[in-house]
Amino acid sequence: MFSYYLRLAWISILRHWGLSLLMICAIGLGIGATMTTITVNYLMSANPIPHKSEQLFYVQLDSWDVNEPYDDGLNPPVQLTYTDSTNLMKANKAFRQNVQAQAYGVIEPADKDLLPISVTARANSADFFAMFDVPFIFGTAWSEQADIGKEQVIVLSKKINDQVFGGENSVGRTIKFDNNIFKVMGVIDLWQPKPLFYDISTGAFNESEDVFVPFSLIAEEKIRRSGNTNCWKPSGDGMAAFLAGECVWTQFWVELNSEQEKQDYMTFLNAYVEEQKQYGRFERPLDNRLSNVMQWLEQQEVVADDARMMMAMSLMFLTVCLLNTIGLLLAKFLGKAPEIGLRQALGASKATLFSQYIIESACIGLAGGLLGLGLSFLGLIGIENLYGEYMQGLATLDLTMMVLAIVLALVCTVLAGLYPTWRACNISPAQQLKSQ
Amino acid sequence: MLVMNNISKVFQTADVQTHALRDFNLTVNEGEFVSVTGPSGSGKTTFLNIAGLLETYSSGEFTLDGEDIGKLNDTGRSRMRNHKIGFIFQSFNLIPDLNLYDNVDVPLRYRGFNAKERKRRIEENLARVGLASRMKHLPSQLSGGQQQRVAIARALATDPRFLLADEPTGNLDSEMAQGVMTLLEEINQQGTTIIMVTHDAQLAQRSPRTIQVMDGRVSELELHLATANQQAIA
Repeated sequence: MFSYYLRLAWISILRHWGLSLLMICAIGLGIGATMTTITVNYLMSANPIPHKSEQLFYVQLDSWDVNEPYDDGLNPPVQLTYTDSTNLMKANKAFRQNVQAQAYGVIEPADKDLLPISVTARANSADFFAMFDVPFIFGTAWSEQADIGKEQVIVLSKKINDQVFGGENSVGRTIKFDNNIFKVMGVIDLWQPKPLFYDISTGAFNESEDVFVPFSLIAEEKIRRSGNTNCWKPSGDGMAAFLAGECVWTQFWVELNSEQEKQDYMTFLNAYVEEQKQYGRFERPLDNRLSNVMQWLEQQEVVADDARMMMAMSLMFLTVCLLNTIGLLLAKFLGKAPEIGLRQALGASKATLFSQYIIESACIGLAGGLLGLGLSFLGLIGIENLYGEYMQGLATLDLTMMVLAIVLALVCTVLAGLYPTWRACNISPAQQLKSQ
Repeated sequence: MLVMNNISKVFQTADVQTHALRDFNLTVNEGEFVSVTGPSGSGKTTFLNIAGLLETYSSGEFTLDGEDIGKLNDTGRSRMRNHKIGFIFQSFNLIPDLNLYDNVDVPLRYRGFNAKERKRRIEENLARVGLASRMKHLPSQLSGGQQQRVAIARALATDPRFLLADEPTGNLDSEMAQGVMTLLEEINQQGTTIIMVTHDAQLAQRSPRTIQVMDGRVSELELHLATANQQAIA
């Protein structure tokens, strides 16, 4: 009977094409608006590294001013001081650990025909690549010894390798970065975590960096650091004084493979802070934090409030569209009262009729869902154009969202069809047949 | 066999009770052709709707083919309608969106026949009413008489034990009406029980038995012999 009902639905939709088109448009608009905003929220709140997000922890220590607590004392500072980051690195207490900061510079290609390239850089330690599963095309990450030895080594993004070396395997070759010669250790494949979880201090949806260099070179002033820097007391002049000061500008991640390791690491952090208190630092109460990836993104409110607001509004819009659909379905089905009465006379039970008309509703929902998908694509393109780089890569419908759009349209339309169908199935056949 | 004992039907509105049938008693035997006559509002159509299980009754006993109708739920009543009852209406009641083939197909679908069996029955019954060549036509492309023939083909497609006809010739001219009546007589002669509501006394006289409904009751029974009827018409 299912194929029969589908055929009847098709005939009915064609026969009442105007009414059907109105319903399809109403559902399509509602689904289009809703899916556009749901997609943005979904991608903003997606887990960027699902297979190990529970093992990666962002470290926070409260080294801030006792008189004017950071974030009114609700949360410790978002970043760490250079002193603390390097101390934690030296302690080497985690399975993997990574200290990092943003940097920048200019690459001067050996080919004199190529113009210098201004690049974004990440100054990080060797574990960064293994910790965050960075995919390599050529070569590997530099070693821990390279960090300690402050070697001038570099890992290039595919984009920079394509620009400077024409996409060839450049491992072992040298490149001039900020007037210093660096040896290429590896080239990574396209890698764009969304959100850019490992550093959201200047934007959770920035592009990943062009090049990666050892963090230890910042102290040597071989690379220039950038990014957010917050200080609660002035540091002296010069790089050495800045590094020794209480400014927070580094991020520190650890990889811990069990709950026990996490507890042990927290114990270590607490002991470290207690020790630092003896040197007159960390005057505030202990407030050390270890947040896994999703906790960290949640805490930093990566999903923008206006995106949430837009989603709520679009859901309300979908509700209005569905209410209209209920009215239109009611008009359509009650208009079919004579046919419904006749079908009852010919042996259709209420349950049979209910199935027939719910399937018709679902067909309309399916068409509305497909239209909604198309509108979602347009909506996302519009958002991408409106917000520019901030939304780059966020405005795409993946398979999950496409399936969700269709399922949402079907569920909504079937729900919207319940009342009209119920009303239609309770039509008195005798009355309808007599009124013909 | 159709047996109604003391059937009553009361329509209740906000402040008015209307007794459409009162202590309605009737027995129709297997293979009978019964005409039901009576003035407008006498309860003929209500009787036919109850007999066709399209309407419930307020009190009394009703058995159809030995089945106590009062004990059936919606599914049971639908099944009974589909298996044992065929309907013919004054206004034909064909589905305008479906061609003749698909119109006759409707009750067969609910019966659950396979495609081959449905095709056989549809073709056989449309041929029986002389419309085999018009299977792909829409109802709007046919005359009134032809539409009523399609409705009869649809009613017969499930081989019903009872054929209930509500003013089957009411929308037809006299020539077409005679044709439809002749067809009904042929169907009756092949064993199908027919109950026909009509205003037309001449048509009623063509059936072997006529009952008159007055104020929701069977007022008198008239028995005609089919042969006598035929002579009278001749």
